[in-house]
Amino acid sequence: MASPAIAFENVTKTFPGVKALEDVSFTVNQGEVHALLGENGAGKSTLLNILHGVYAQYQGSVAIGGRKVAFQSPSQAIGAGVAKVHQEINLVPELTVAQNIAMGYEPRRHGLINFEKLNGDAREILAKLGCHFAPTVQVKTLSTGEMQMIGIAKALYHNASIISFDEPTTALTNNETEHLFRIISELKQKGFTIIYVSHKLDEIFRIADRATVLRDGRYIGTYQLADINKEQLIRSMVGRDVSSYAVRLAPPCVREEELLRVEALCASAFSDISFSLRRGEILGFAGLVGSGRTDVMRAIFGADPVHSGKIYLHGKPVHIKRPEQALQQGIGLLPENRKTQGFVRLMSNADNMGLASLKQFTRWLMVNHAKKRANCLHYMDEIGLTPRDPDYLVSDLSGGNQQKVVLAKWLSTGADILIFDEPTKGIDVGAKAEIYRLMEALVAQGKGIIMVSSELPEVIGMSDRVVVMHEGRIAAVLSKQELSEERILNYAMGE
Amino acid sequence: MKSIHVSRLFRNRSSSLVVVLLILVMVFSIINPIYLSLYNLVDIIEQATINGLLAIGITFAIITGGIDLSIGSTMAVVIVSTGLMLVNGVNLWLCLLAGIAMGFAMGAINGFMVTKMMLQPFIATLGTMSIFRGVAYIMTGGWPVLKIPKAFRTLVDGDILANIPSSVFLLFAFALICHVILRHTRQGTYFLAAGGNEEATRLSGVNTDRSRLYAYGLCGVGAALAGLVMLARLGTGEPTAGLGYETNAIAAAAIGGTSMAGGRGSMVGTVLGALTLSALKVGLVVLGVDSFWQYIAMGAIIVVAAYFEVIQAKLERRMSRLGRKG
Repeated sequence: MASPAIAFENVTKTFPGVKALEDVSFTVNQGEVHALLGENGAGKSTLLNILHGVYAQYQGSVAIGGRKVAFQSPSQAIGAGVAKVHQEINLVPELTVAQNIAMGYEPRRHGLINFEKLNGDAREILAKLGCHFAPTVQVKTLSTGEMQMIGIAKALYHNASIISFDEPTTALTNNETEHLFRIISELKQKGFTIIYVSHKLDEIFRIADRATVLRDGRYIGTYQLADINKEQLIRSMVGRDVSSYAVRLAPPCVREEELLRVEALCASAFSDISFSLRRGEILGFAGLVGSGRTDVMRAIFGADPVHSGKIYLHGKPVHIKRPEQALQQGIGLLPENRKTQGFVRLMSNADNMGLASLKQFTRWLMVNHAKKRANCLHYMDEIGLTPRDPDYLVSDLSGGNQQKVVLAKWLSTGADILIFDEPTKGIDVGAKAEIYRLMEALVAQGKGIIMVSSELPEVIGMSDRVVVMHEGRIAAVLSKQELSEERILNYAMGE
Repeated sequence: MKSIHVSRLFRNRSSSLVVVLLILVMVFSIINPIYLSLYNLVDIIEQATINGLLAIGITFAIITGGIDLSIGSTMAVVIVSTGLMLVNGVNLWLCLLAGIAMGFAMGAINGFMVTKMMLQPFIATLGTMSIFRGVAYIMTGGWPVLKIPKAFRTLVDGDILANIPSSVFLLFAFALICHVILRHTRQGTYFLAAGGNEEATRLSGVNTDRSRLYAYGLCGVGAALAGLVMLARLGTGEPTAGLGYETNAIAAAAIGGTSMAGGRGSMVGTVLGALTLSALKVGLVVLGVDSFWQYIAMGAIIVVAAYFEVIQAKLERRMSRLGRKG
């Protein structure tokens, strides 16, 4: 038997403080469609990035067609016939299809681009893929599905023999997905090796031959899809030890009083969202990335517009169209992306913490800087900020401490309802534990917390109830007793 | 901890600018002692008033992450319209008030386009730069407004204290008020916050659109005050007044440490920037340097100041890295 198309051997990749991959070994056969499965953060993207030369530093080895390779850059990987069809379609909309396909590797004549050959080559490839658009049209005139085809055309242009797809169908319509699947099986018949990353198990059972499952950066197993069913596959993806720190230490303190009720909220990214939040409750929001959880939170907070639906606070209907109205109504939001949405880089701890509550420190139009500082010092003790310096720039803090500053900004306002969007993303374990303890303290004080999280152990460990979203809709609302990783994942994947 | 204080020292542009200004004055005085005379020093400040007022105003726009190219034209509209009111016998104080209000309104128009219409500040104000200029021409049919009443001229630019004209006091008063607005009012914090990270500020429950509108309004007020001073100083209201003045105002703000990316800047720095430009210009005149060379010197100081900012950022980064290790 010939050597496998790809062989990963003891691949380990560490980032500061995190082991993204640990001792991963498996092989991908030539001419098969090989699915790569795992939860968010299981290490799929890291593995793909190693295969495609994005990460040059790692332990272990990767062999392509039996020969060891050590790609230092994506272009080296492409040169060796390993191409990637990107999840987010990164094309230049103003340029033509052919220009995008050949980007960086245009055929030249006398130092100028040879458009005749460029368009001819592109036309040939597009015909192979069964695409009905000309190579000379601008990319911006194409549909999402057609743009995806350009990604595949690019791979063929570079004579790739190995092509990886990362969640290729996320933005595609049913017809476009069908077309993509047809092309993938054609490629397979022609002897191409395909790596296919997706959360959608139905798709994987349709087009893949084998599947490799990763969990927490470790290799779990490679399965013939003919010999395994969905339940078994899901079980192998979860079953991770629920981390010991993502648990409630204090007794539950949910009270009767309803703080927030959302009824049939609709917007472009989601529809028919109804749920309620009670005083003293931590309400988890689970779902896959892109299932619309963040969009719902931003809409409630008035950062994005809604089409229809009602929001009640303390039983009274409210209309929140802008974030300042949410602030007045006692709603706070810890946004998903700290750096771009959470704090102002050039401002100090004291300034950032006081940004939402500046009115309190203002008299006769003048800001009382001493009061603002005192507020900062007060919350620095409460949340355990290090270093304890009001003048320290937030951008110089660690991720966990930055998150605490954003949290303190909302605590300063006395908000009753706190929305935490991925509160522990990218922060170290110690800071995570501190954030969990703070959340417990807050609900004990009678606040209500909505926690959007993609980390299932965190959702299960911390929540009193969990709303699971799937493709912009609520798939299930699970009580504490019903919570399990399998069940959440089942609903999140729309099973 | 200690290194943070060191980096804070580096961050303070104003103190280093004072040193630059003193060195400049010293060098010019050594070459030609006339430079250090009281008359000449007052002249330096007087030459800085119009640019200073414009620069203070535009600092607000720049701090919020924007720019206002229309200030020269705003000035011209205020000059001709106030001039026309004055020669037609409207009450002096009313004319002043109307001029300032007009400046605010024109700034607010820019602010409206930048926030509600979501135009890029550069393009929006490039448009109004031309529109306002046209308005100024149409108001007078292209002719200057002549014979501005003496009372107005003495009030706005007449000597009050030992040859120091009132416009100099106006400059420092406006600078002080704007400093207080920037550092001690809520809107001032919002200006800086919106310029530093608009999205984070908006998500903190701040109406950033309103704040930016105010910033452009204040920018217009600065232009209006500059226009009133010019009207009083020249005694005629030219619709061509202020042509190209925005460049010097931007230069003063930049030299004063205002970040063109927004989020950082100070009024003290801007005033010092305007004074530095003026000291350089007057110095070169006193030395009898050919005016063509003056352009090169002015341009060089802008480039040097900008490069200083780059070095400063590098130093800060190194400092904070050391601080984290230590």
